Amino acid sequence: MALTRVDQLSFTYGGATAPAVTDISFELAEGEVVALLGPSGSGKSTILRALAGLVPHFHGGTFRGCAVVDGRDTRTARPADLAGSVATVFQDPEDQVVMTIARNEVAFGLENVGVRPDEIWPRVERALAEVGARHLALRRTTELSGGELQRVCLAGALALRPTLLLLDEPTSQLDPDAAHVFLERVAATGANVVLSEQRVARALSVATRVLFVEDGRLLLDAPTDAAREWLAAHRPLYAEDMLFTDKATVPSDPVATLEELWFSYADRDPVLRGVSLEVRRGEIVTLEGPNGSGKSTLAKLAAGLLDPQRGVVRRFGRAGYLSQDPGRYLACERVVDEVALGVGGDAARALRALDEVGLGWAAKRHPRDLSSGERERLGLAAVLVGEPDLLVLDEPTRGVDPERKAELAHSIVRYAASGRGVLLATHDRSFPAARRVSLGGPRELGEARVAA
Amino acid sequence: MRPGAAAALLAALAAAALLADRLASVAAIAALLLVVCLLARSPQRRMYLLGAIVPGLALFVLWPLLSVEGFQVLWSGPSVPVIGTLDVTVEELWGAALNAARLIAVGLAFTAYALLLDHDELLAGVSVARRSALAAALATRLVPTLQRDALGLAEAVRGRGVAVEGLRGHARLLSPVVAGSLERALNLAEAMEARGFGRAGATRAPRPPWRGVDRLALGVAVAVVVAGVLWL
Repeated sequence: MALTRVDQLSFTYGGATAPAVTDISFELAEGEVVALLGPSGSGKSTILRALAGLVPHFHGGTFRGCAVVDGRDTRTARPADLAGSVATVFQDPEDQVVMTIARNEVAFGLENVGVRPDEIWPRVERALAEVGARHLALRRTTELSGGELQRVCLAGALALRPTLLLLDEPTSQLDPDAAHVFLERVAATGANVVLSEQRVARALSVATRVLFVEDGRLLLDAPTDAAREWLAAHRPLYAEDMLFTDKATVPSDPVATLEELWFSYADRDPVLRGVSLEVRRGEIVTLEGPNGSGKSTLAKLAAGLLDPQRGVVRRFGRAGYLSQDPGRYLACERVVDEVALGVGGDAARALRALDEVGLGWAAKRHPRDLSSGERERLGLAAVLVGEPDLLVLDEPTRGVDPERKAELAHSIVRYAASGRGVLLATHDRSFPAARRVSLGGPRELGEARVAA
Repeated sequence: MRPGAAAALLAALAAAALLADRLASVAAIAALLLVVCLLARSPQRRMYLLGAIVPGLALFVLWPLLSVEGFQVLWSGPSVPVIGTLDVTVEELWGAALNAARLIAVGLAFTAYALLLDHDELLAGVSVARRSALAAALATRLVPTLQRDALGLAEAVRGRGVAVEGLRGHARLLSPVVAGSLERALNLAEAMEARGFGRAGATRAPRPPWRGVDRLALGVAVAVVVAGVLWL
């Protein structure tokens, strides 16, 4: 019997001219783990919101069709009424944390849905243990990393023992090993899971069924094996993890050398201890390693945004840096001004850079009116416009769909081939690189070693 | 000590600082609160301390110039339209020091509350106006979030080769940081609704009961306020 049923669902957000989803219909049987795939902006998050009742109750707009979850029609049941049966983990963990202490954050949902007081702490502890976050129980949420917060948020969802678990890119801030363990634990809960994920191979490894959405329409609803065949035939970039090759020119002079760098934040243990690295013109170097291993710190040191406590950084030219989640850090009121900021207000150069990332049409719009994927591209244009000799990118593929990732990879290869150096901090092992530098865990750091 | 008792003590010290008339008393309260704040190991400590002390110092500078009080003139400056003659008297300096110390003491009490107390437990102890209490707790947590957003934004701008320097450089980041916080607020509201906030029949996780030391702290808090009114 279907636990969840979506029938002819169409939804247009208030103020939007086009529907976010159109005529979506599917049913979920008990215990199914469904991978919800599709490009950025295709309607995946809207479908998750509809299943949680947030569409139409929280987001105003035009709703047609129906979604029935755990026997309740979301048109009449409010999201708060569905909470408990349905649990949602949103894309950005920082935007969903309410409480100050991690274990209280996990307890928040249990208190809201009226779980008996004597049951709350045992369920909190069990949920934290399930996601490998028991050690975080008494930590302040403002001091947790993105990956740690994602685990706490998942614990908050699992503690509810929901019949339907909705996950919107829940592993975007986890390293591959942690993400694998995370998803295996999710699949083992026995709950009905709908998982929206841009790392397709990761999602397919636990999914029993696949829904593929594009332009708001459901193009595929099939078991995982059949879906793999369909993806290979129709959307090959989604079928397997792309392994890009770096066809950049032969590396020449160094553009940056980092010698014996030590760095620690405030009173904490050093994140980097005696790390050395060289980036040459024409090459792409990736920094890999688990959460907390110091990838971002090393990237910022290379870009000159941090100064090492010991060691020397030499740059032979100008550096440009694209931060994690660049769409959040937008400073101007118009897209064109955002890009022109880095070139002294030169609008003509800014427009050319926008055209290169396919955002020429949005030049006069407000940056926050753009979708998350468009904002990411805007952030890239804002850095590339200055044509830095050393381009440093921190997790540039986070939340990026396979097609955009391919475009990004080609852009970066072209950029390196033009005689500049590129340094990437990333969890994504499929990205092009001439050299891959692996950093150890936070407690086993000693040196950066060249892995390939 | 339970957070509720500690919060009562901090509130009492802040109230006593506002009620006291003697500079030495207010300065002693501020010094005590500063010591308490320095016990916090949070990475945000410096930012909070600056936020508590800088407005007080600014008040100390501006007060003598803007107030007209006393006869023992130490410095007589030019005449400014609307404000009048800029002169500084001993009495004005005294008033400036007292009010600056009061402001700093209140700021330090808030800093200790923000950095050292478990706001969740405070929230759990509130039986009336729970939504308002949650709003206050979220607002407290907004400070480090805003700080992180501001640092991230400054870093993003510097990453494009644009220097972020001086008051003007930082002031231009204010509007995008506020816009970002509004976006965060909307996302948080959505997440809270999805997690059942506001639903009837909510329960609370059991918390440890108050002990003797907590009741004692409450008594001391009352005594501090009374002392502030009568003797300090």
